[in-house]
Amino acid sequence: MRNERRGSLYLLTGLVIGMVIGVVVGVRHAWLVDPVNFTNTAPASLRTDFKDQYRALIAAAYMANGDLGRAKARLELLEDQEVYLKLSEQAQRTLAEGRYPQEARALGLLAIALGQAPSTVALPSPALTTTLQVTSATSPALTTTQGATPSSTPASTPTPTRLPSTLAPTFTPLPTRTATPTQGAPFILDREELVCDANIKEPLIQVIVLDAAGQQVPGMQVIVTWEGGEERFYTGLKPELGLGYTDFTMQPDTAYNLRLASGGQPMPNLVAAECEAADSSRYLGTWRLVFVQP
Amino acid sequence: MWHNTTDMSRWFFFLLAIAFGVVFGVVLGLLFGWFVYPVKYVDTTPDSLGIDYKSDYVLMVAEAYKAEGDLGAALRRLALLGNRPPGDIVREATLFAENQGYSDLDVNLMRLLSSALESGVPSPETPAP
Repeated sequence: MRNERRGSLYLLTGLVIGMVIGVVVGVRHAWLVDPVNFTNTAPASLRTDFKDQYRALIAAAYMANGDLGRAKARLELLEDQEVYLKLSEQAQRTLAEGRYPQEARALGLLAIALGQAPSTVALPSPALTTTLQVTSATSPALTTTQGATPSSTPASTPTPTRLPSTLAPTFTPLPTRTATPTQGAPFILDREELVCDANIKEPLIQVIVLDAAGQQVPGMQVIVTWEGGEERFYTGLKPELGLGYTDFTMQPDTAYNLRLASGGQPMPNLVAAECEAADSSRYLGTWRLVFVQP
Repeated sequence: MWHNTTDMSRWFFFLLAIAFGVVFGVVLGLLFGWFVYPVKYVDTTPDSLGIDYKSDYVLMVAEAYKAEGDLGAALRRLALLGNRPPGDIVREATLFAENQGYSDLDVNLMRLLSSALESGVPSPETPAP
């Protein structure tokens, strides 16, 4: 009886010793003899900062060739969860860094072209009575504005054979370019209103640019100057708020001049104005300026 | 004699158990490594990208360069693909593109970038910004 128990125990001991040796040999081989060598990786595995640069390059290439299908296919390689949010967030970050404004614009325009913004976008303040209609991704109206790039390169033709990975079948040419949003008559100020909304924590200048058809216009450069400073930014970099929307945070007691880079009516001396809350407390309100193309 | 035979038999089965354990351990490790918890590459660098992705990256650089005419920006972008000379990277990508049947338009863009890198000046074909 004792011998039988001893017999099975030593076999079990042998099995365990063998497994330990096996694991040690395997790990030694994996770590020292033939360690992992990262080759043939896919863009999805890139480090976050490299992904950002990859994304920026996709946007730059999109600005050059106007091929939205190709840009989409390339973006899919990064396996981002919410592509347009990633693009617009990176556009804002790049713009804030101030190093590559063209890159920021390209990212913003690509985000807009992808057009995953909701079809009706409420402006930030619930106190607002205005709700602007924004063209959806599939709307033909959007495709007329997505070609608003500085390049005059025509949309490229689809490539018959491409990367075996994912790109080949999805490349599609863009529709023929149409006029850029800056062409035509200069924009004029249609509405200037003080928005009193306690939910907006900082006093803003909100700018909304509409074309003659009443559609929001992305990619419009807005220039704000004040004593000792200037800032330039673009509409459409917050697509969740509207393709023709942008905003700027005001400092109290500073007078700002605002104009669209494409020309049109300037807005001088914008100063943060006070609003009164329901409990009679006072806070700084937000200026909303709506520019339209007549 | 009988005693020695029993000992030998035990040693034999003991060694057999070890051998079986090694095999079982390796198989278990492989199953775990390949199916239960496979390697997931994260935080890799662009120079580890597959040649197809690298070629498409170079094509993007070429497309942007054609529109922007900014050789510095092109070099900055190509630098992500490693420490090799940018001209070599573009040449390799162009060769891959030719072999894989990229469109003539794409291959020409890559060649344009390659020649600009060789000459060190923006190509005269570059459109005005």
